[in-house]
Amino acid sequence: MNEIRENITMKKLKSVKDIKRLQKTLLAERKGIRKSIAVCEGTGCHAYKSSEVADAFVEEINKRGLDKEIGVRRTGCHGFCERGPMAKIFPEKIFYFKVKPEDVPEIVESTLPGKDLVEKLLFLDDKTGKRCAYQHEIPFYKLQNPVVFGNNFLINPKDIEDYIALGGYSALAKALSGMTPADVVEEIKKADLRGRGGGGFPAGLKWETARDAPGQPKYVIVNADEGDPGAYMDRSVLEGNPHSVLEGLMLGAYAIGSAQGFVYVRQEYGIAIENLPIAVAQAKQLGLLGDNILGSGFSFDVMIHQGAGAFVSGESSALMSAIEGRVGEPRPKYIRTAVKGVWEKPSVLNNVETWANVPLIINNGSDWFRSLGTQTSKGTKIFSLVGKVKYTGLVEVPMGLTLRQIVYDIGGGIRGDRKFKAVQTGGPSGGCIPEQFLDLPVDFDELSKVGSMMGSGGMIVMDEDTCMVDVARYFTRFLADESCGKCIPCREGLRQMRRILKNITEGKGKPADLNLLEELGDFLKEASLCALGQTAANPVLSTLEYFRGEYEAHVLHKQCPARVCQSLIVFYIDPLKCSACATCRKQCPTDAISGDKKLVHIIDQGKCIKCGTCFQVCPTRFSAVTKLPGGPAPEPVAYGTKVAQKSKGEK
Amino acid sequence: MDKTKSRIVGVRVNKEQETMLSELQQKSKLTKSELLLKGLETLAEYYSDSGAEQEPMQTALQRLESEAVRHMVSLRKIRRKEEAIKEFVREIRKIDEIIDRHGCNPSMLIQILLDVQKQNNWLSKPALVWISERLKVPMTRIMQIATFYTMFSLEPQGRQTVQVCLGTACHVRGANELLTRTQSVLNLKPGETDPEMKHTLKTVNCLGCCALGPVMTVAGAYHSNPSVAELKELFKES
Repeated sequence: MNEIRENITMKKLKSVKDIKRLQKTLLAERKGIRKSIAVCEGTGCHAYKSSEVADAFVEEINKRGLDKEIGVRRTGCHGFCERGPMAKIFPEKIFYFKVKPEDVPEIVESTLPGKDLVEKLLFLDDKTGKRCAYQHEIPFYKLQNPVVFGNNFLINPKDIEDYIALGGYSALAKALSGMTPADVVEEIKKADLRGRGGGGFPAGLKWETARDAPGQPKYVIVNADEGDPGAYMDRSVLEGNPHSVLEGLMLGAYAIGSAQGFVYVRQEYGIAIENLPIAVAQAKQLGLLGDNILGSGFSFDVMIHQGAGAFVSGESSALMSAIEGRVGEPRPKYIRTAVKGVWEKPSVLNNVETWANVPLIINNGSDWFRSLGTQTSKGTKIFSLVGKVKYTGLVEVPMGLTLRQIVYDIGGGIRGDRKFKAVQTGGPSGGCIPEQFLDLPVDFDELSKVGSMMGSGGMIVMDEDTCMVDVARYFTRFLADESCGKCIPCREGLRQMRRILKNITEGKGKPADLNLLEELGDFLKEASLCALGQTAANPVLSTLEYFRGEYEAHVLHKQCPARVCQSLIVFYIDPLKCSACATCRKQCPTDAISGDKKLVHIIDQGKCIKCGTCFQVCPTRFSAVTKLPGGPAPEPVAYGTKVAQKSKGEK
Repeated sequence: MDKTKSRIVGVRVNKEQETMLSELQQKSKLTKSELLLKGLETLAEYYSDSGAEQEPMQTALQRLESEAVRHMVSLRKIRRKEEAIKEFVREIRKIDEIIDRHGCNPSMLIQILLDVQKQNNWLSKPALVWISERLKVPMTRIMQIATFYTMFSLEPQGRQTVQVCLGTACHVRGANELLTRTQSVLNLKPGETDPEMKHTLKTVNCLGCCALGPVMTVAGAYHSNPSVAELKELFKES
């Protein structure tokens, strides 16, 4: 940061006009910058060492003395995590994927003067065989409408100026200067914004309840305890664009008359925990947090709480307990938390994505928001499209797109062109949706109809190599571990279900177990205290409904058709294919493979721990190691059998 | 002094010794050789007597020595105790800093525990007792929190944490096999630490790097589906 900038930033904004003036100054100052490069430093790309790429850009640009015309911006997540590290060149919106520090000089040399594109770093569309350079050409981005997520490309989350230059905090200015709190609530109600955290409860209604509830002070809370495994959209918004969440929170606070907000964020989200306090400090410095914000008389402050790793703490009443410094266990909600929440005071808790939508609605109006989405679910939703899909990443689409569009058009279909089996939505509380419902439009209500739910937006794609019984066991184990144990149906019911499922995946299941599971599932739904228990049976019930055949294969034939359940499957080396290359023998961690030069390798089933190493390392040109769905393994050939003679062309 | 050959024993003696010897011979009425033997006997007696007197000296010396050793040991113990107390005070002081940073506020208990965990890598009993004292929060509630959340550990952790992601996306891409591999290479089960305190193996519910799945972290660095050979390399480096 140079001196002039520091002067601007140091100045407290005293009125609504000040913030507009600051935006103008920032824009004028940035006019000289001809081009900018946005390097993704979200957690995914960070793991691919994207910061080294950003460093290389800075170094290269400084070396060429271009630092006045070309800006390098370290931004939050761009969504397409499969192809990280990513760099996007503005204003052309050229996307480069899998960029390495070595590639940087070439990009600076050819692309930045506008001469050439670096072909090898462009996206290759395997359907058409063409390279796509621009965002609108890449299938992954084509169907997306990133209204919440899109600014991630343009903002350095550690710099409030970036957010303000893009018109940030103008919604707050608009509300403080021309809207009453009631107007704000009314606008959100009209927009029909539903909670993005899972339940889909109308946010406007919640706000109104809290505003009208007796008791002072009132609290607003950001729920960033995103616990669903396989879902990370909240983290990406929070770490990439923290100010949008803070602005939403301030608008909510203004609407219900609160002066204290909390952000409850998972401790595991390192970058978010790093960026958030910076954002809060910068907002305080500018007077956007604190007393008498923008001279309006509205005062507001934010505190950051870190979660300590408990799934159930993401439940609203549990989260409020955690904020009070107690164990994050849910409590009965005979009275809504909007009326009696933190310290028994009216509290509005919304999810990160919900809060991030609020400034957009205030700025663009509820009609704009209502123009996106379906009849009952308005706006867009960010999904985390993961699992066996070709293009893993975060996608923001208008509600109502079909599952097929999301999985096939955006996600590029199944990895390795395997067969689609199911898509799991809604996290551990959701269900598995089979192929026959692929044309289902995705919104809050349609997903519930087929036994799943929208949840926070996790979408885990499963192919024919995924065992549905194992998936059900996985979620049940997860929930049984995470159940707080306060109510008996959840604690004991899940434990029993886990035991039954474990038996089934180990080949000890009985035919009667399947009915017992259904019975237990219904009981859990009816009798549990909080949403965790009430929805905990969904993964089991939905897989039992749509994939009963797989359960039966485990129970009746002791086989795992998808070759996943470790107790059932058997690794076997095909003596006709084995070329005695010794790769598997050398890597086997338990020395279970015997063999020698030119001798067929044999797995000692007694020693095998089924870690899959041999299967993983067997060269594809032989693919001699196979997984069998169930035992016993075929009788091995005698030790000392010579490998089959291969014709010359074969090798 | 001039010495003349004695007539009694045939060795050189002076006059006085000669008179003393002849007097002794007259008095005791002993032969020359008897007198000589008697003298030798007396001498032997004298020396065995004085030997008996020296023995307590040796034991006394030994006693003194062992006492000195004991003192040294206890001194060392005291010093070690002192060190331990100093260490303890230092630790408590650090914990105090954390508590004060959060305004000694019982509602920040979880945040305080998180910071202590981050600093020490585990929650020791003295630390918890001190927090309980300062915040005036009963120990039961602290233990309830410390055992409820997965982030806290009540045992010392290895220098490096190895986390295998068991999130759904990793699970469907073979996280179990990765875990089996890691377990067999490290010879640890999830939650265990090796005796040399090098590694602690843990499983986590989602690291949020689903594109890399199945993924694991070793001391904070991400690795996508490493093979047995790669795992051995990873743990060797560290």
